[in-house]
Amino acid sequence: MDDIDAMFSDLLGEMDLLTQSLGQETLPPEPLRSPKQEIDFSIGFTGLNASVNELEDNDLDALMADLVADLNATEEKLAAEIQGLDVPPPSSSSDLPPPPKGLSHQPTSSVTSPSSPGNNYSNSVTTPSSSTASPLPPPPPQSAKPTMEEIEAQLKADKIKLALEKLKEAKVKKLVVKVLMNDGSSKTLMVDERQTVREVLDNLFEKTHCDGNVDWSLCETNYELQLERTFEDHENLVEPLLAWTRDSENKVLFQERKDKFEVFKNPQNFYLWKKDKKTLKDMKDKDKELLVQENFCGTSIIVPDLEGVLFLKEDGKKAWKQRLFQLRASGIYYVPKGKTKSSRDLVCFIQFDNVNVYYGKDVKNRYKAPTDFCFVLKHPQIQKESQYIKYLCCDDAWTMNLWVTGIRIAKYGASLYENYKTAEKKAAVSSALWTNRSTPSSSSSSTPSPTIKAKAPAQANGHAPKPQAGPPLQGIGNLPPPPPNDFLPPPPPDPVLPPPAPSLASKPAPQRQQPSDLPPPPLSMDSLPPPPPPPPMENSLEDPPDFLPPPPPPTSYSSLPPPPPPAAGFGRNPNQSLPPPPPEPEFLPPPPPDPVILAPGAPPAPPPPPPPPAPVSIQRPAAQPRKMPPVPPKRTTPMLSGGGGGGGGDFMSELMFAMKKRTDQ
Amino acid sequence: MAAWDLSVTVEDLGSDAPPVTISVASDLHVGGVIVKLVEKTQIKRDWSDHALWWEQKQQWLLRTAWTLEKYGIHADARLVFMPQHKPIKLGLPNGKTLQLKACFSNPVFQTVMGICRMLNIRHPEELSLLRPVEEKKKKKDKDLAEEIYDLTEVPLSSVSRPCLYNGMPAHFADSEQMEDVYKMLSITQPPPAPEVIAKQYRPASVVDKAHINGRWLDSSRCLKKQGIQENDRLWLRFKYYAFYDMDPKYDVVRLTQLYEQARWAILLEDVDCTEEEMMLFGALQYHINKVSLTEPQTLSSSAALDDLESALMSLEVKMEGESSSASEMLENMTAPELNDYLKIFRPKRLTLKGYKQYWFKFQDTSISYFKSKEESIGEPIQQINLKGCEVAPDVNVTAQKFLIRLLIPAPEGMNEVYLRCENEQQYAQWMAGCRLASKGKSLADSSFQSEIQSIRSFLAMQKTNSGSSNNAAASDESINTHSLVSPRYHKKYKPKQLTPRILDAYQNVAQLSLTDALMRFLQIWQALPDFGLSYVVVRFKGSRKDEVLGIAPNRLIRIDLGVGDVVKTWRYNNMKQWNVNWDIKQMAIEFEGNVNIAFGCVTADCKIVHEFIGGYIFMSTRSREKSDTLNEELFHKLTGGHEAL
Repeated sequence: MDDIDAMFSDLLGEMDLLTQSLGQETLPPEPLRSPKQEIDFSIGFTGLNASVNELEDNDLDALMADLVADLNATEEKLAAEIQGLDVPPPSSSSDLPPPPKGLSHQPTSSVTSPSSPGNNYSNSVTTPSSSTASPLPPPPPQSAKPTMEEIEAQLKADKIKLALEKLKEAKVKKLVVKVLMNDGSSKTLMVDERQTVREVLDNLFEKTHCDGNVDWSLCETNYELQLERTFEDHENLVEPLLAWTRDSENKVLFQERKDKFEVFKNPQNFYLWKKDKKTLKDMKDKDKELLVQENFCGTSIIVPDLEGVLFLKEDGKKAWKQRLFQLRASGIYYVPKGKTKSSRDLVCFIQFDNVNVYYGKDVKNRYKAPTDFCFVLKHPQIQKESQYIKYLCCDDAWTMNLWVTGIRIAKYGASLYENYKTAEKKAAVSSALWTNRSTPSSSSSSTPSPTIKAKAPAQANGHAPKPQAGPPLQGIGNLPPPPPNDFLPPPPPDPVLPPPAPSLASKPAPQRQQPSDLPPPPLSMDSLPPPPPPPPMENSLEDPPDFLPPPPPPTSYSSLPPPPPPAAGFGRNPNQSLPPPPPEPEFLPPPPPDPVILAPGAPPAPPPPPPPPAPVSIQRPAAQPRKMPPVPPKRTTPMLSGGGGGGGGDFMSELMFAMKKRTDQ
Repeated sequence: MAAWDLSVTVEDLGSDAPPVTISVASDLHVGGVIVKLVEKTQIKRDWSDHALWWEQKQQWLLRTAWTLEKYGIHADARLVFMPQHKPIKLGLPNGKTLQLKACFSNPVFQTVMGICRMLNIRHPEELSLLRPVEEKKKKKDKDLAEEIYDLTEVPLSSVSRPCLYNGMPAHFADSEQMEDVYKMLSITQPPPAPEVIAKQYRPASVVDKAHINGRWLDSSRCLKKQGIQENDRLWLRFKYYAFYDMDPKYDVVRLTQLYEQARWAILLEDVDCTEEEMMLFGALQYHINKVSLTEPQTLSSSAALDDLESALMSLEVKMEGESSSASEMLENMTAPELNDYLKIFRPKRLTLKGYKQYWFKFQDTSISYFKSKEESIGEPIQQINLKGCEVAPDVNVTAQKFLIRLLIPAPEGMNEVYLRCENEQQYAQWMAGCRLASKGKSLADSSFQSEIQSIRSFLAMQKTNSGSSNNAAASDESINTHSLVSPRYHKKYKPKQLTPRILDAYQNVAQLSLTDALMRFLQIWQALPDFGLSYVVVRFKGSRKDEVLGIAPNRLIRIDLGVGDVVKTWRYNNMKQWNVNWDIKQMAIEFEGNVNIAFGCVTADCKIVHEFIGGYIFMSTRSREKSDTLNEELFHKLTGGHEAL
């Protein structure tokens, strides 16, 4: 244990040093990227050939910082692993197993996931969270004691899992990606295999200080084929980049693309394209909204009703042939010669499962196309001239836009709309943030923050009163490490807590310190008890799904090992017969801090709790007043964040949802 | 006031019994008449559901406080005293017939509400009753074979406030027969025999499709007034294609019946679709049937715990998905592999060599091959990653041909590779592996075994189908694939030709749960361009030829019969007002921007068209008013026409 603690604090110290030495811009990336996986440098460099050579100095600095962080993380991890595996005794004591994991992870990958959200939040949030977390640690051990054997077995299993997870993590690919900006400059990022385009965009917003409007996109260009397409926000970035050939001159661009979400801004242009231009232009906002509702919010996504004559370049041939094409949800069809347009006579031209849609450039010259308004369908892995690439030419740019958008709707369906809503939220928050932001430097540590910010609005809806916590907290600049911040609820108590926070920053496990802080909580409880607890839950749970701060999510996934034990316990206990060990620890914690309080809190938690203990415990934190919060922070948070990284958030939010629904009823 | 004799026929005395005569005065209220009547019959029973029906005026005397004078009843009035609820035979979307007591005295809208309450279908406003299409009955024995599910014994009082027991309304828990009825309602029917599909009436044109819409009953008038008699047959169908708040948890019956209606719409080509879509619908039907047999409907215990339970369930499922247990992980680490001698052929290399045998190894998502088993330790001759590839079967069981066609993407294009397996067993395994790998899943994926299983069952189908296709034994493993597609494809393809095509589509849906599969079916149905259109033949003002008006949930379309194409679209949200001239049976609609249209209805009463349009506008108001109670008044206001006022 001590060793680990020491290592942890060392690590944190190192990170602090790094942050200080590096410009703000560079710092943010560190925490994010540090997700501990062994980095696959070779992939990044070789795959993207030239990019490394062209790196600018400060890019290199940033990268180095990342790498150092990564290395540290890996070392940490290894140490933790070894410790965990070698020393059965420590692990057997119920407390130890979780803490080591938590510690090791936090500095490394696991920490990032929870922390990053918190960090992003502008440090204010972080302090409170740490304070809340502290009280619980002791209780879990006690509770666990009853069934030592079971616990040991569980621990062993957990450790195996942990080790396996680490192995898996080691496989995670990372790429160094050079992104071209509009002004011709470039930024270099390290992108994790598990990061979505949305996360990378958020990262770029932070780096470039752009306005973050919904049109910002990442695009890929294929030099050899002269193709171009906008990545969808939900896509993973690394996968398509891996399809590039070694010597490719393909590029990734960061630019505003009006066509990306145009369909949600002016749906009439796509769904009522047959109407005359004037009616389309004069469309009322109310009617636009209705169109989006009709086509994207029903049980089924409706694809625009497109039909028209297009020129097709036949497989490998030079000639362009005209055909009457029709777009349907299931694919593109054409009307064979001499047949009617009736559905049953249509011949399937292509389905979208295995192809992406691209804009073709310079097709008139290259392929003697009738027009330059060409869209292309091909398997993403095809990088060179091939008969398997389908070229379709339209009469004008507008028609081409219709088809490309229509195909995207058919291919991506609901995801497209989700992306839009997320982007909108983000844009609203980031524009608001710009005005408020006083010291960029303080925020620097929180590169991932963009994602977190998005949450803020969501919170507002759920728990309006909380926000105040922010100002006091900001004072603590170093908080980034405390990542646990996810639990915004704590903020109220914060004023009291601030003092501990500083120490926390240096120490790996901020949460623990707080046990002594209990006094403040009572105060807060009286005033705002209910609010604090819910936020933590929601944040920790919901955030990952919605915002997926770039770094945290990956880490959370990768960090699963630590969380898995708890998470696993969670999931299973309810379903199974409540294996006492895991659930109990969580339950028990509350009693120690303030037994009396719990009782009141518990009643609200519906009667169902008794049968499925696990679920109850989860719910309580959310529903109950502050007492619960402490519990979640210590154990649960790390666990949740880690385990939940992938699915945890979902379950939790589902549970929350279910509970809410129930109470409503 | 002077007393006079009023004679009333009491139905319960039998049809031959003479009318009962009572002495009344004009200021006697209807309730008083009933009391006298009951006293006179001297029958002791529950008369509470009975009411007076005025034959000449075709009118119920439901206001018991009104006097005879107020109703205008004189001695010459022919009154009938009878129950308001009478049995009818109700044809359900799934083709089954239910006998139940329906209300004959309230507007059909309320009658449908009552029926839906009894059947546990939410949002009754989406359904309505229509007169069935006459079936030509050829054989008497067929008639006898029809099973009628009886719900007439359900006390009306218990239906008014349904409480759930075992996840179903309590009245279904009374006996085993009742439970069977509920099963029939809530579990999908097996695919119909191809002959059954072929025998059903299929509309051949838009005009044919328009005729069915002339059969809808008037929602604002009662059954009795529309000439419906006791024990008549009516169909219950979803009329408005705007399905609000579909929740599989509460909508078991609704979802099942909607699926059945959609399935028949596809099978009978009521909604047009492409061949590819038909194959997908076929695959989903196959899958739904298979899953509903193996995964018996879990009647959820208490509704209160449902949310929690399902949340926990998905929690568990997801955790499993993340492979949370250590043993599972270990399994993952020591990834299973396949090793065998197979034959490979690359059609693109213009060699005539044909198939060559190598030792193949399937690991993770890649296939590698070696000269021989002995050399499999070294470097493979080639390694092929199947991620993102296309996999197609080429199988002929009778000819013992088991071919896997792979189309593998590479930077230069797609490479075609054929793998030839020796036997069924080997084929099923390697095919399953290829399928999973193409989606980026390894052999360790939990779906590997079920994938093998489904490939085998499709092979089995091919076997049985290659024999006599008449013997469509509906055992789950061997469905005649003709049961899954419309008759058009019966002619186009033999069952064994259909099998691989449906299997092909099946691989994308094979992992869906029952509910998800049902929902997917409905989603694809709803995404069809012609979905939700109810047709009526109309004649536009100033036009000399018949045209077709299509009524959709959000718009009206005008179809030119000559061209067969949509010539005009009007959306409801641009509608300013609409009027009906009941005398000349003409509808006039005004849209924003001074667009006015007017038409007379040819194949349906204009009340039906009026009700369709008003109904859809009503449906669109539901999302705004979040309340659970149905705004019946608004519905009648929008659909009732002059009679409602």
